[in-house]
Amino acid sequence: MESSTHKDESPIPLEALRRLLPNWLKRFLPSGGGRAHDEHGKSMFGFTVFLLSESVVFVSFFVTYITLRLTTPHWLPPGVKGPDLSTAVMINSVVLVSSSFVIQAAEGALKNRNLNRFRLLWLATSAMGIFFLVGEVREWLGLDFGLSTGLVGGTFYVLTGFHGLHVFTGILLQMIMLVRSFIPGNYDQGDFGVSAATLFWHFVDVIWVILFSLVYLWRA
Amino acid sequence: MTNNPREGIAGADESAENSHSTQQTTWREYFSFSTDHKVIGVQYMVTTFIFFLIGGLLAMIIRGELITPKLDVVDRPLYNGLFTLHGTIMIFLWIIPFNVGLANYLVPLMIGARDMAFPRLNAIAFWMIPPGGLLLLSSFLLKSGTAQAGWWSYPPVSLQSPHNQGEVIWILSLVIIGISSIMGGVNFITTIFWMRAPGMTFFRMPIFVWSILSSQLLQLFCLPALTGGLILLLLDITAGTNFFKPSEGGNPILYQHLFWFYSHPAVYVMVLPIFGVFSEILPAFSRNPLFGYRSVALATIALAVISTVVWAHHMFASVTPGWMRILFMFTSMLVAVPTGIKEFAWTATVWRGRLHLLTPMLFALGGAVMFLFAGITGVMLASTPFDLHVNNTYFVVGHFHYVVYNTITMGIFAAIYFWFPKITGRMYVEGWGKIHFWLTFIGANLTFFPMHPLGLHGMLRRVSSYDPEYQWWNVIASLGSFLLGMSTLPFIANIVGSWLRGPKAENNPWHATGLEWQTSSPPPKENFEEIPVVTEPPYHYNDFGETEQPEAAGQE
Amino acid sequence: MRKILNSLLLAAFIAVILLISRWVGQQAYSWMPAQGTAEAKQVDEIFSFLASIGTFVFLGITGVIVYSIITCRAPKGDWSHGHPARGSVKVEILWIVLPTILVLWLSFKNLSIYQQLNIQGLPPVVMHMHMVESADAATVSNDSKPVGEGIDVFAKQWAWSFRYPGNVTSTELHLPVNQPVSLALHAQDVLHGFYVPEFRLKQDMVPGRTITLTLTPERVGQYRLHDSQFSGTYFALMEANVYVESRQAYSQWLAQAASREPTIASNQAVTEYTQATKKIFNSRWQTVQPAEPSVVNYSS
Repeated sequence: MESSTHKDESPIPLEALRRLLPNWLKRFLPSGGGRAHDEHGKSMFGFTVFLLSESVVFVSFFVTYITLRLTTPHWLPPGVKGPDLSTAVMINSVVLVSSSFVIQAAEGALKNRNLNRFRLLWLATSAMGIFFLVGEVREWLGLDFGLSTGLVGGTFYVLTGFHGLHVFTGILLQMIMLVRSFIPGNYDQGDFGVSAATLFWHFVDVIWVILFSLVYLWRA
Repeated sequence: MTNNPREGIAGADESAENSHSTQQTTWREYFSFSTDHKVIGVQYMVTTFIFFLIGGLLAMIIRGELITPKLDVVDRPLYNGLFTLHGTIMIFLWIIPFNVGLANYLVPLMIGARDMAFPRLNAIAFWMIPPGGLLLLSSFLLKSGTAQAGWWSYPPVSLQSPHNQGEVIWILSLVIIGISSIMGGVNFITTIFWMRAPGMTFFRMPIFVWSILSSQLLQLFCLPALTGGLILLLLDITAGTNFFKPSEGGNPILYQHLFWFYSHPAVYVMVLPIFGVFSEILPAFSRNPLFGYRSVALATIALAVISTVVWAHHMFASVTPGWMRILFMFTSMLVAVPTGIKEFAWTATVWRGRLHLLTPMLFALGGAVMFLFAGITGVMLASTPFDLHVNNTYFVVGHFHYVVYNTITMGIFAAIYFWFPKITGRMYVEGWGKIHFWLTFIGANLTFFPMHPLGLHGMLRRVSSYDPEYQWWNVIASLGSFLLGMSTLPFIANIVGSWLRGPKAENNPWHATGLEWQTSSPPPKENFEEIPVVTEPPYHYNDFGETEQPEAAGQE
Repeated sequence: MRKILNSLLLAAFIAVILLISRWVGQQAYSWMPAQGTAEAKQVDEIFSFLASIGTFVFLGITGVIVYSIITCRAPKGDWSHGHPARGSVKVEILWIVLPTILVLWLSFKNLSIYQQLNIQGLPPVVMHMHMVESADAATVSNDSKPVGEGIDVFAKQWAWSFRYPGNVTSTELHLPVNQPVSLALHAQDVLHGFYVPEFRLKQDMVPGRTITLTLTPERVGQYRLHDSQFSGTYFALMEANVYVESRQAYSQWLAQAASREPTIASNQAVTEYTQATKKIFNSRWQTVQPAEPSVVNYSS
């Protein structure tokens, strides 16, 4: 079927290269044509592409933060202490990052069709997410600067706020998936929703790790 | 189904009567939430054409004002609002979404699929365009008017009240349209990777599909930078943040970088699909294969990649460090190489061909030649010392209009005429098509050529009045623009009239290769009776002298 | 026989377009305004060169296409195929390599011209900027010893003003000919741009930082300074007169200006803002108010 005698075929052996990839990456990249029937794979591919695109918004905020911090004369206005790496913030971060492992275990339980274990771990993930959000709001209320405080304020609240919005969305997605897990026959056509919500949560966590390093670990 | 063109032609005569049998698309469907990519494609193309007419009307008023050196037709805030909205509408509500509509229609057919990867997402993405556009237009009704800081919205001017109210609407409208674009990007990339027919490897895809792959990748990975910048701009206006306020330590140049990081690749998002259109039409009407198909495919990807590292050439005169100006000069010059590959390939395709100078071909040839001119002035602009003289003058305006009108819009007309019989099942009137071409070609050159000498002599862009020494060229440009405006009339009459009452078209009136021509005109709801199996690369206009026999290769 | 004829034809074609390109290159100088500075000569040279090459490429490719249009028409309704060549590795490599060499060469040529321009105050990679408190703020970071005369240029919505040594102010820019002058550019509210077409130089001005542009005017005459970066409602009215004159005339003018009491200098933007006339379409949209007119020694 694939003719390699025709002059205009690929100059690069794409198929051969694809076979060299690790399995988890190969899953995303279909070969040849006619794999449209793998709905789960196709949807995960699309969702992954979306997340990669969404991450560029965060990158633009990170670039903004770094640039402004390096070029502004007075990063911390007089009397402002800026973001504080308090114990509360550290606990929050640990909780959020650990929840990635919890949600991964939940997805594993679903793959084994252990619905009760799945729901328990899934709910635990959401609880950890809510814990994080509550903690973040409490941190915000205790800070000595607002949105319009110099540039430290704007960048801090945009970064943490935009990230928090994604945490909130992640929890919302988890709630929806949890409710749907009670519908009989929900997983007959695959579990794309759960896979997507899981990947989304990992994405949220990775962003947090970068954000945490840039905002809290980077001392003046 | 085979790829043998001769068999396709024979089949076309037989199945002509089948092309209109069952499952005809009713006009009501075009106003509904249809998930059929063919319906959505037409919805995009018609909607964006209406925005094109609106943007064109704004241009007529601008050119009317510029016939005389003094300000007499509109007041200054209105003028500034006019050119701001003209640019914004033409880029974000005409060219970019029209290309999405054309791609929506063609890509599944060209790769042998029944629809896009995510049909419902496709429909949602379309239905965000009319509200986004209407929101933008509604800003004309504000007391302080529309956004008036140019389509770039540079702070601090864009932050100034009172017109920052219009600016807020501008930002929100762009965010809505941007979300639609990202949805489209996800859909196209997934479709191209996952939905190709058996045997359709990457290097058997038509160049149009390569061009959509490249331009949608650019959208996906560059547009979010603009989204970020616009969110920060919005917060500066509404929430008291200081990102771009110099008096508070903010950095307006940062906005420029975020803006241009997307907006340079955006011009390739606009032009790459048109290069794809030329690459489909020129072989069909020269009866030659596309010369150097693989180089053209690779050049398309290379163009997308290089275009992500040239953005600061829009900022040569800004507060850009010397080393950055030089770096971006080198990359901007380099981007001419893959572009040149395409021009040379098209020229070689036409050489020693058997040319049919029908309307699609006229527009494609005219567009390719005028793009040559645009590309040359582009290389001039890449030269930093020269750019410091003409930056922000009408030289730049002339250059980019040669791209967006004389190349892209001409290319869009070429595409409409070329695929009109396929989409509607009817044929347009060739004579009026030719008239449309000549009026457009003459009008476009009359309008935009004078802008080059104007810029060389220092006439700045975005001015509502100018020194009398510039009047002569401005009069020519304005008269040309009125001709250009009128030239759309025979087009609209031809397309609307033919769609309603034109003669029925065959399946493959141009005897072209490509899977879309192997199915009926218009295609059935599911596109193909059976999914084709592909056995060779595209553009097999090669009956004379090829070693391979098309018939033998066509075995299933 | 046929082949020889074809080669001759090709050679003749190339010769003709070479001649036309050379001619265009020479004409290109006349498409530019007068050369007001030393830098202008080099900019015009590079433009002429680019115009020649551009003409050659344009005529070459268009010529091939036009030739094909004339000689290769298919009879109506005859859709048989043309020549079968799908590509040629040799030709394709040629048209990748040659343009690459060409653009690299152009880039290096341009690099050497750019290096002769003297623009200071642009940021290095990472720096800490000092906000401008008063109009006398020092230029930023790298050493920017002014060469020759140092004049401050102020831009605000929507008028220019200039401060000369000795604290003499004016709404006109006077420059002594054949002497390098250092212009310290200050924008006071939004982005503006400094541009005199005859000088061939342009530099955007950003509030909060001072950028120094050094140039050497070489031609006596009167020019117009334009605001080149869109700055709002009355952007088009933001112009000023520039006088390049002999050292003697310049000193005389400076002395005369110094002797005058500073007065309010009206500008076109303020005039139009207060006395707007009716147009065909009146939006009556509220607009940003012009900044306070400058108080200067000498205004026309």
